[in-house]
Amino acid sequence: MSTPASSPDRSDATGATAGAGVTPVVSPASAAQGCTITGLHKSYGDVEVLKGIDLTVEPGEVVCLIGPSGSGKSTLLRCINLLEQPNAGTITVAGFDATDPDVQLDDMRAQVGMVFQSFNLFPHMTALDNCSIAQRRVLRRSKEEADRVSLANLENVGLAELADRYPDQLSGGQQQRVAIARALAMQPALMLFDEPTSALDPETVGDVLGVMRKLAEAGMTMVVVTHEMGFARDVADRVVFMDGGVLVEEGPAKDVIGNPQHERTQSFLARVLHPDGTLDG
Amino acid sequence: MSTAIRPRKTLSPRQRAQINRYVQYAILVVAILAAVVLTDWGTVGSKFFSPSVMLDQFPAVVTTALKNTIIYTALGFVLGLALGLLLALMKISPVAPYRWLATLYIEFFRGVPALLVFIAFGYAVPYAFGIRIDTYVTVMLALGIVESAYIAETLRAGLQAVPKGQYEAARSLGMSNSRAMITIVIPQAVRIILPPLTNEIIMMTKDSSLIYLLGLTASQYELAKFGREAISSPEAGLTPLVVAGAAYLVITIPLGILARRFESRTAKLSRT
Repeated sequence: MSTPASSPDRSDATGATAGAGVTPVVSPASAAQGCTITGLHKSYGDVEVLKGIDLTVEPGEVVCLIGPSGSGKSTLLRCINLLEQPNAGTITVAGFDATDPDVQLDDMRAQVGMVFQSFNLFPHMTALDNCSIAQRRVLRRSKEEADRVSLANLENVGLAELADRYPDQLSGGQQQRVAIARALAMQPALMLFDEPTSALDPETVGDVLGVMRKLAEAGMTMVVVTHEMGFARDVADRVVFMDGGVLVEEGPAKDVIGNPQHERTQSFLARVLHPDGTLDG
Repeated sequence: MSTAIRPRKTLSPRQRAQINRYVQYAILVVAILAAVVLTDWGTVGSKFFSPSVMLDQFPAVVTTALKNTIIYTALGFVLGLALGLLLALMKISPVAPYRWLATLYIEFFRGVPALLVFIAFGYAVPYAFGIRIDTYVTVMLALGIVESAYIAETLRAGLQAVPKGQYEAARSLGMSNSRAMITIVIPQAVRIILPPLTNEIIMMTKDSSLIYLLGLTASQYELAKFGREAISSPEAGLTPLVVAGAAYLVITIPLGILARRFESRTAKLSRT
């Protein structure tokens, strides 16, 4: 009964797919919240990594953070769900005041999906259990309901057939897609992606970007740290260029990538784009 | 050119390696032969391997001594594991005084001989507080407290060997600190810890012999004490000690095999 491999179960889950992706288990109030960051500072010892960041992400918006390595993109992203503790500034995310010392941190994080560069799937659990464990332990869903939602989300990323596999039996691209399904199974108000394709073999990058593209089209609020300029240009509503811990330039994707105003943006893009101006992605 | 073609008088590396191997075998054979020839087999047989004395050890060596060794080790291990886990968590705690306390404890009990700890709990503590401590409790305390220091370090290393991203992923999904530890970090750490922990049990099995310092009743004898008592009769020779030693191997060799089994399983898991 609990084996998700039997075909009736799977067709059930497929039927529920459309519903599960949109079902507002998240309260409408928080679903309508994006993310607002003001005056964010973060230092490690004497090194100031973020030097006063102001950024607003509207509900349903897809924002790509680009910039050279060491510019603070990942730190900014990790501050949003408090994996890094900011030194100053305020962050409001999914209706929670993240910088309030009394914030219900675990409740807040349950509403903010995070996808890591190194996948961080739990190696001692199958793909299905990876997706179900937090639903059961955090959202207190029954095993049956959690597995149903997990299968629907695995189906969404095209991996329902591999639900019984362990992470070490999956390719990098498959692992990352399971990681996305795991985050989505919590029905978050917002998704954070920390260089989700940087650790992948080139041939599997497309699958992961395809899933993210689908997610963006479905209206998910997304903040994506990425080096994939093609993805940023095609999918992002807004592109933010960071350098040296500050936001240098932001605007619609086609403006920032196609016609950058700031000199630092221009030189960065000149380095990552092909000499003839075409995109790598 | 002529030097290159001229046949070498020296040996090729392969020939040299072969001769080297023959020499090593020869040394081994000579050493074994010498030991066999020089040994006084008659005395060895009667002093160490007397069949009648061996039979005399049974069944008490199993029903009392082996049983007590296992009980003492198990008691010490239970306390050692509980204390060790507490110390390991203190050692990685963000609260600095916890870390200092744990470090102090670990350095102290790893640094003093286990013998002294047994004396402390066998004599010093009862005299100091005017109390009588049951023998089994004494062993549990002494063995558990000494071993917890070693176990703590094993556990800490295991917990820290789980990649930080695992904890972060768990927290990002809304799990609390303790939930993330219990559901995600500790199950992975256990796989890393099992082989060294099994080795700790082997060490404890042998350390339980230190109880010989305490006054024991015959029913409380463990293997080493049992063997020592048995050799006091003049006709026994040292055979009882040989029997006791073999009984230790009955416990430790299976544990060693178990540890290797765990090791190869861990290796298989971490290969990919």
